[in-house]
Amino acid sequence: MKQHLGRQSGVQNVEVSLIDGKVEITPKEDGRIDPAQLIKATYDSGVSVAEMQITARGKIVKDDSGNLLLQVTPNQAFAIAPNDLSTTLNPSAGSPAVVTIRGQLYKKSGKKKPDPVAALKLLILEVQKKE
Amino acid sequence: MKARKIALVLLFGATLSVASQAQIQHVQMRVEGMT
Repeated sequence: MKQHLGRQSGVQNVEVSLIDGKVEITPKEDGRIDPAQLIKATYDSGVSVAEMQITARGKIVKDDSGNLLLQVTPNQAFAIAPNDLSTTLNPSAGSPAVVTIRGQLYKKSGKKKPDPVAALKLLILEVQKKE
Repeated sequence: MKARKIALVLLFGATLSVASQAQIQHVQMRVEGMT
């Protein structure tokens, strides 16, 4: 699995802890990494993903329906699942301010294999920094 | 007029610089079925 993940685009380093089942992935400097692709690559190597968390910097924007998104690159944005923390980001929407967020991007539910193509929603766990 | 242009260039540069730092910094997964 480590080799499989290490071959994915944008991945600089992969650390696997067999004891607690944790996988730490360090993206390359440009940060162009695709979490959905990482989930798919993990399943392809025969291992189930129970949960994925990311720490990301980006701008808060709103889509046409008024939903909040974290835009990490011009071509990559994650829909933000509404919770108490997401409401505190509402005033930042559309501003040039950059926020650093730690959030849960995926959590396994049931025994079904996830559809990695389905849009991942970011459940904010912590707003680390607003700049 | 010149000062205004310089200010605009600086503002644009600062915005671009902040935007370029936006990225995924870390990914952590909890996995099951690993041997």
